[in-house]
Order: sequence, then structure tokens, then C-alpha cells
Amino acid sequence: MSITSPDQKAQKRVRAKESAILFTISGHPFAIASSAVHEIRSADSLAGSAMEIAQSGVTKVKHLVHRGNRSYFVVNGCAHFGLKTARPTLVLILRDSPVAILVDKIERMTDIAEPNPLPLAFEGEERRWYRGLSYTDDVIMPVVNPAGFLTRHELRALEEALHASRAEAHAELSGTVAQ
Amino acid sequence: MTAAAIEKNSFVLLQLGKRRFGLPAAIVTELAPPVKLHVFAHQTPMVAGVIMRRGRIIPVYDVTPVLAGKKLPDRRFYLVASRKIDAQDELSAIPVDGECELVTAELFPSPEDSPKYVAGVLSIGEETIEVLDFETLVRTTTAPAVSNGANPQQLGPIA
Repeated sequence: MSITSPDQKAQKRVRAKESAILFTISGHPFAIASSAVHEIRSADSLAGSAMEIAQSGVTKVKHLVHRGNRSYFVVNGCAHFGLKTARPTLVLILRDSPVAILVDKIERMTDIAEPNPLPLAFEGEERRWYRGLSYTDDVIMPVVNPAGFLTRHELRALEEALHASRAEAHAELSGTVAQ
Repeated sequence: MTAAAIEKNSFVLLQLGKRRFGLPAAIVTELAPPVKLHVFAHQTPMVAGVIMRRGRIIPVYDVTPVLAGKKLPDRRFYLVASRKIDAQDELSAIPVDGECELVTAELFPSPEDSPKYVAGVLSIGEETIEVLDFETLVRTTTAPAVSNGANPQQLGPIA
């Protein structure tokens, strides 16, 4: 039989905290671990350097942006989460995946409770979208999974579309030079 | 009557609109007060959001369009019941209009034309009350998940 002191029990009840960025898309609240975000930029500031991706079959991604020596597929948050179209103003550029997310607004950066697992009742794509649910300041919000924005299949389709459009551009350029 | 027989014949009667329905008392955990319904983006049909109850996050199934043919009322209680999903026990809630009642009565087979979510009927006074098969009910799809594309301000908060 193990004996647990009241202090130990209280310690067990306290969930670990993590630093997170709280943001909204189409009025819905979300959180993402601060450590998963490399940079936050205004959508307008990236507009000039964005390259259009055509016919990839991944409708939630229309552009590619370059930051430093890396490229990021820009995922429309509304399309990804199946929400009403809003006008995104900011881009969250992720740290460990080639993904940038269009969001409406950053609410704040704060410490949130470690996410609870998503209840098993949730059976849709949200199981891939979210790491879990966090209860912070009387609000339960989903904590997004940074790896859940694009599947391996979607990434491959985007890379192929990108490769094809680069090849096309190269062919056009070669044709122009030959003339 | 043995304790097991009493438990088998115990039902919680819940009010939804003008109708009453029964749920086996064995699966009912509590009647929660009108707490805040938290809504976020997801794709699971029937799930309206989650509530926080006794430190646990409990999914809420919007069964009112199926049972009462209407939208969620503005203020409602939540009847919390346990389910087994993938061999794990999990609590789920459904919104109800008000007080619930515990009754002991014999369960009769449901008429052949009853919906699949009706497990049987109770005869209480002059009233015939449908007893719900909770598992089948929450898997009865009538429309896409209410939270998708909806403005959370229109759905909550409630309290």
C-alpha cells in the first residue's frame, strides 16, 4: 500500500504549464505552443514575396513564402478548420515544419495549462488538428498540433505542383532566350 | 425485487421541449447546472462543444434537433452520462430543459416503427415515454456539426 501525503496529491493535481500564443480564426479561439512558432508577420508584409501555387489539389494552400533560406506553404486557417471565410491579417510562421498559418488576430501570449487529451467523442479531423484542450482563464480552447496542418500526402502534392510550376517557368525562360 | 432488478428498472426522465424521455439510471452520472458551453472548430457530427464539470472536460451532444426538432435552448441543464468508447469509459452530456426525475418502471419493447435510438418504452400513468439508447442516439446524424462555420457568440456562452 502506498501512502500519499496531501501535498503530493495537490502536486499531482497541478498540471504543468506551457507558454502559448492565443489567436483567433473566424472568431474561434485557438492556442499554439510558443516554441512551435518561429515568427509572426503581417499578411501584407509577405504579400510581395509570396509565390502562387497553382493546381496542387490542396485548396487551403495558395502561396509559398520565403523567409531566410527556408520556404513555407501558407495555409489558410479558415479553410483548414472549415470555418467561415474571414480576412486574415497575420501569418504564424512555424518553426519545425514548412508551414505558415493565416490567422485573424493574436489575442495574447500567456502560460496555459498542459492540454487535456481531446475527448474520444471527437472523431473527425480534429484528432489530427489538435494536441488537446486547455482550460485557461475560464475558457476551454484547442491547442493546435503544429504538425497537423498538412498531411504527408498534401505536402507531396504541393511540392510536386511547385516543381511543375518551376519547370514550366524555366521552360518559358529558355524559350524566350532561344528566340 | 433484487437490487440488480431495481437498477435495471431505474430510469432518469428528462425533459426536452414538451416531451419527456428516459435514460437508464445506471449510465447517468449527474444533472449539471447551466454552465458555459465552450465551442471550437471540429468535424464531429452532433457534438456542440464541451463543458467543464468537476475538473473534467465533457463533450456535449446536441440531440435536441433529433428529439425535439429545434435548436439548443438558450439556458439549459446538462445530463451527464457515461459511455464506453474504444473500451474506455468517457462522460458525455446532452442538454435538457429542466429538472429530471428518477423512476422505477418496467421497460417494454418499442413499437416496430420507432427510431433506432429508442431502446424501449415506459408506461407511466397515461404517458408512454421512450427510453433512449444513448450510444445510438449520439451517433444519429441530422446535420453537420453546429460549431463548424458558426459564430461561437451565437451558440454561447450560456452562463
